[in-house]
Amino acid sequence: MHRFTRTVLVLVVVTAIAAALGASGRAKTGRVTTVSDHRGGTLKLLAKSAAGTLDPMINYTLAYWQLYQASYDGLLAFKKAGGNEAFTVVPDIAQSVPTPTNGGKKWVFKIRKGIKFSNGKTVKPTDVAASYRRIFKVKSPTSGTFYAGIVGAKACLAHPAGCTLKGGVIANDKAGTVTINLVAPDPEFKYRVSVPHASILPANAPSKDSGSKPIPGTGAYYFASYNPNKALVMKRNPYFKQWSAAAQPDGYVDEITESFGLTDEAEVTEIENGQADWMLEQPPSDRLNEIGTKYASQVHISPLTAFWYVPMNTNLPPFNNLKARQALSYAVDRNATIKIFGGTNLATPSCQVLPPGFPGHKDYCPYTKNPGAHWSAPDLAKAKALVKASGTARQKVTVVSSDDAVNKAVAVYLQSVLNQLGYKAKVKPISANISFTYPQNTKNKVQINVQQWYQDYPTASDFLYVLFGCESFHPGSDSSINMAGFCNKKINAKMHQALKLAVTNEQRANTMWSQIDRMVTDQAPMVTLFNPKHVDFVSKRVGNFTFSKEFYWLVAKSWVQ
Amino acid sequence: MLRFVFRRMASALLVMFSLSVLVFLIFFATPGADPVARIAGKNANQQTLREVRKDFGLDRPMPVQYGLMMKRLFVSRDLISTATRDEVVPQVVEAAPITFSLVLGAAILWVIFAIALGLIAAVHRGRTLDAVVMIVGLIGISMPVFWVGEVVNMFTQSRLHDTFLFSWVPPLGYVPLTESPIGWFKALLMPWLTLSILYIGLYARVLRSALVESQEEDYVRTARAKGLTERRVLFRHSLRTSLITFVSLFGLDFGALVGGGALLVEVVFNLHGLGWLTYQALQQFDLPVIMATVVYAAFFVVIVNAAVDLVYALLDPRVRHA
Amino acid sequence: MSEAAASAPALVGALPSGASPWKLARRRLLRNRLALFMLGVFVAIVLLSLAAPLYAHDVAHTDPFRSHLDGTTIVNGKSVPVMPQSTGGLGIGATPIGPTWDLHHYFLGADNQGRDVAARLLYGGRNSLLIGFFAALITCLAGTLIGVVAGFFGGITDGVISRVLEIVWAFPVYLFAICLSVILVNQDFVFGPVRIGSGSIALPIMIIGIVYIPYVARPVRGEVLSLRRREFVEAAIGLGASRTRLLRKDILPNVATTVIVLFPLVMAIAMLTEAALSFLSIGVQPPDASWGTIIQDGKDLIRTRPAVALAPGLAIALTVLALNVLGDGIRDALDPRAKVRGIR
Repeated sequence: MHRFTRTVLVLVVVTAIAAALGASGRAKTGRVTTVSDHRGGTLKLLAKSAAGTLDPMINYTLAYWQLYQASYDGLLAFKKAGGNEAFTVVPDIAQSVPTPTNGGKKWVFKIRKGIKFSNGKTVKPTDVAASYRRIFKVKSPTSGTFYAGIVGAKACLAHPAGCTLKGGVIANDKAGTVTINLVAPDPEFKYRVSVPHASILPANAPSKDSGSKPIPGTGAYYFASYNPNKALVMKRNPYFKQWSAAAQPDGYVDEITESFGLTDEAEVTEIENGQADWMLEQPPSDRLNEIGTKYASQVHISPLTAFWYVPMNTNLPPFNNLKARQALSYAVDRNATIKIFGGTNLATPSCQVLPPGFPGHKDYCPYTKNPGAHWSAPDLAKAKALVKASGTARQKVTVVSSDDAVNKAVAVYLQSVLNQLGYKAKVKPISANISFTYPQNTKNKVQINVQQWYQDYPTASDFLYVLFGCESFHPGSDSSINMAGFCNKKINAKMHQALKLAVTNEQRANTMWSQIDRMVTDQAPMVTLFNPKHVDFVSKRVGNFTFSKEFYWLVAKSWVQ
Repeated sequence: MLRFVFRRMASALLVMFSLSVLVFLIFFATPGADPVARIAGKNANQQTLREVRKDFGLDRPMPVQYGLMMKRLFVSRDLISTATRDEVVPQVVEAAPITFSLVLGAAILWVIFAIALGLIAAVHRGRTLDAVVMIVGLIGISMPVFWVGEVVNMFTQSRLHDTFLFSWVPPLGYVPLTESPIGWFKALLMPWLTLSILYIGLYARVLRSALVESQEEDYVRTARAKGLTERRVLFRHSLRTSLITFVSLFGLDFGALVGGGALLVEVVFNLHGLGWLTYQALQQFDLPVIMATVVYAAFFVVIVNAAVDLVYALLDPRVRHA
Repeated sequence: MSEAAASAPALVGALPSGASPWKLARRRLLRNRLALFMLGVFVAIVLLSLAAPLYAHDVAHTDPFRSHLDGTTIVNGKSVPVMPQSTGGLGIGATPIGPTWDLHHYFLGADNQGRDVAARLLYGGRNSLLIGFFAALITCLAGTLIGVVAGFFGGITDGVISRVLEIVWAFPVYLFAICLSVILVNQDFVFGPVRIGSGSIALPIMIIGIVYIPYVARPVRGEVLSLRRREFVEAAIGLGASRTRLLRKDILPNVATTVIVLFPLVMAIAMLTEAALSFLSIGVQPPDASWGTIIQDGKDLIRTRPAVALAPGLAIALTVLALNVLGDGIRDALDPRAKVRGIR
């Protein structure tokens, strides 16, 4: 965000000086760059592999959500701005953010006129209603979680093919409105309306996963082609006319391509050579120093509301013992894991669940040499004492992690710590593709694994309730995000209290979430390692880099010439 | 001859079938390989998972699933990849020429160099040149191919990229022959060299010892007695029979590579051939693509081995192929 | 004795008559200085690997199986962190120290867990040599047997064996390894009293040993097919020799030379394949080391700390070289016809 302000200031100053000089007549200064000059060119993005289906209602990867920002719109949207402003919800296809009536259950959206899809058709309320029905028809992963509160959703979840959402989403083409009725008031609803799963698509979009066939959207760009083994191409939407710079800014570049296949090392080299503009993956650790010194002006480091954590299975030995869990949390040297990640300039140690800057966050760290607000150093003596008291020493532990370099290195480090504490530890890296689903299934009996969690939207419940609520624990299923299997009746009740409170009094709810954060941290269903920062390595020609905390680099807001 | 061809074709089918069943069994015996949760998306609820499972036919009994997959792969050719949601057969068709270009070029290089080095080493047997050639060759076998590839890239793309030595090296990736023959060549040169380094040493070594040994054969002595010079003896008589081991190994290696065995080279050099496809599919537990590449590779292994059996007869006229 | 006999190549006359062929072979080997030197090199490598604990505890004073990310060591009398964070530019990244060439302190530098590479290299030799040797042994013995049977008996036997070899060769080893490692995450294979977990080196030995059988069996089969029709074989059959005698006296010795050449080469391939399998969690597991796993660790450090990948690669090369030359020497010693040139 600072960089953005600085860039604007520089532009203003340069323009002013040049204007002054130009006004003097025979000025022989260099060409003045104005904003309109930046239009044009192709942005070349790189990614190791394609990220699955292009269907915005099904794809749940950050990689494509980033691209959907410029190609699809919902009724509302997260503001396309840097820093904390990115958490603000602004009206998108709707004219304004409605205040819900009927006890918070009725949302009436007035649709803007004149917005066109990339196939030339104008957006009508019937398209909106069809889109919400489609969420269920294609079995979006969030149909049962985010949108289950819409009237008629229950029937749709049971019989997706014939989904009508009767009484839930009502379109009125003449009045130009769409009314959404909820079963119960939902303070998070405006966020849920703003994510790509609720994109407004043409009513005749296919009722099943569109796979690699692009669906027309309303954004500044549309998907021209998609070959998952080669590349993805986005071009300017010829029917796009900017209606809100905050919701969907007109883009500078004419074309955006994302090529698949290069290894992360090769990606860094291509950007250094100026052959590409940006890489999706984080630069590998052995190139960090290189880009941090020789290409420092092309590196953007942005804090994230995310954390690296180590869930411990509270239903299996040895971590079904509280003392054992706490012991590990005392013993882990968070600085060592930060070193593996890339150093203290890329991550800050943490002991708790909520990341800094999050609503409800209050610094809290009991698992350190001088317990208090912040972590300082591991306390190995205390850890060993706790292990002894727990009686779990010499038990076998298997640390599971993704097989990419950083995750694997963290797992090997944890193995070393566990061995020091007297356990018999093994490391099992598994394919990055299943490293998220595999530990969720209790059948796989994973005792401890290395994970990351990035926010879906800025509410404390997205961390605390989703990760540690009883309702997130589904034994025997690949979809059971509460990997620790943590279910504490008292804490869970308090979580429900906080969820309810958020409807009426967000402030007090957040205070309650702070308390819940402390309670969960004390129970140590996980060892929190650190809050990471995001590294974006771009080529020299990329200008106006804007980082949204919600969707990361805003591709459309940058230029290349 | 016709009988031979027919029998080998039948063998190919048998081998392909066996492997397809093996792959299927391995996949389903693996916990976590179940693709439903990954297809459905992060944190999907239980109902969604059930629906997706039904949609993809993953709730049917295994033999039925196997039969369906084979039908979709061979008969209707509309098998869908679980990871990319794309059709599998066009992916394989698109990738095959890339692998073929890579492997054929590398094979030509390694055969030429191996024969040359093997001959040099055999002729100068016991002297320094022999030792030097052998040592260099052995170092080639001892460094893993992904390391060699990364080092080659480090020099040609990064460190020395701006020098006259390597500024002609294009960015990593494949350039179709039809698009630009020169571009195709330039893009493949480094991968060819990298892939062949591994095999040159091995084949040179094998050839050298086979040559050295066959020099003692009675028929060679006869040739010598007849007055042929050393060179002539080496070339005409020893070489032909020594080539049996050479050709056997070549058949195995070439067959495996054409089917996608060069996956590490393809990944390091960003060549989206069958090896690259296999690598992506393994990472994503994408059974349809894995199945297609394994069956394709099996076919080539059998065919190339059959060709080798025919070549035996050519090389050593005393052999009547089995 | 005629002049012709007196001036005949020194060879035949140089050896005492009446000595057994094994004694003759041994003597020929002992006169092959190069082969002896290489035998010494190989023995040295083995001894160094065995001495790994000694080096780690008493010379380098380090535990090469524990992470030392925040550790320090002495270089030029000063205490330096083993994995210093970058200070230049944006100050991102942490690079392990490079070779200090000080036998007592991180001789070859550190890897990215801060562990002593030299100590790990020695420990790694044990695993690599064991796995490489036994896998190559299985491959060569089984491959020879299968190849000889297929080539000698021909017909349907050859047909069936060849198809099985094709299935083995086309088998997707990496898929198998990945799936096996996932299956074995929390459980072990139990065969009666034998328990094989994914960390057991019996697994890579068996997998590599079996998967490369065609690499020996096919060439052997090819050779046997050629040998079968040779004059001396036909002569022997004409003289009424039994099959076993044929195999023992004529076929096997010829085939043996091919296999002796292939053995060290297969061992090199085995050691490298072991690296790939370890990466997929079959075989040598963290924190244990093998030359292959150290190369894997070094893959992420190629640009900054190339020594980490180079050292084990050179170790593999040296081992393979030694075995190759030794193999040549053994073959020369055993082959009675190789004497026409005399011994040099």
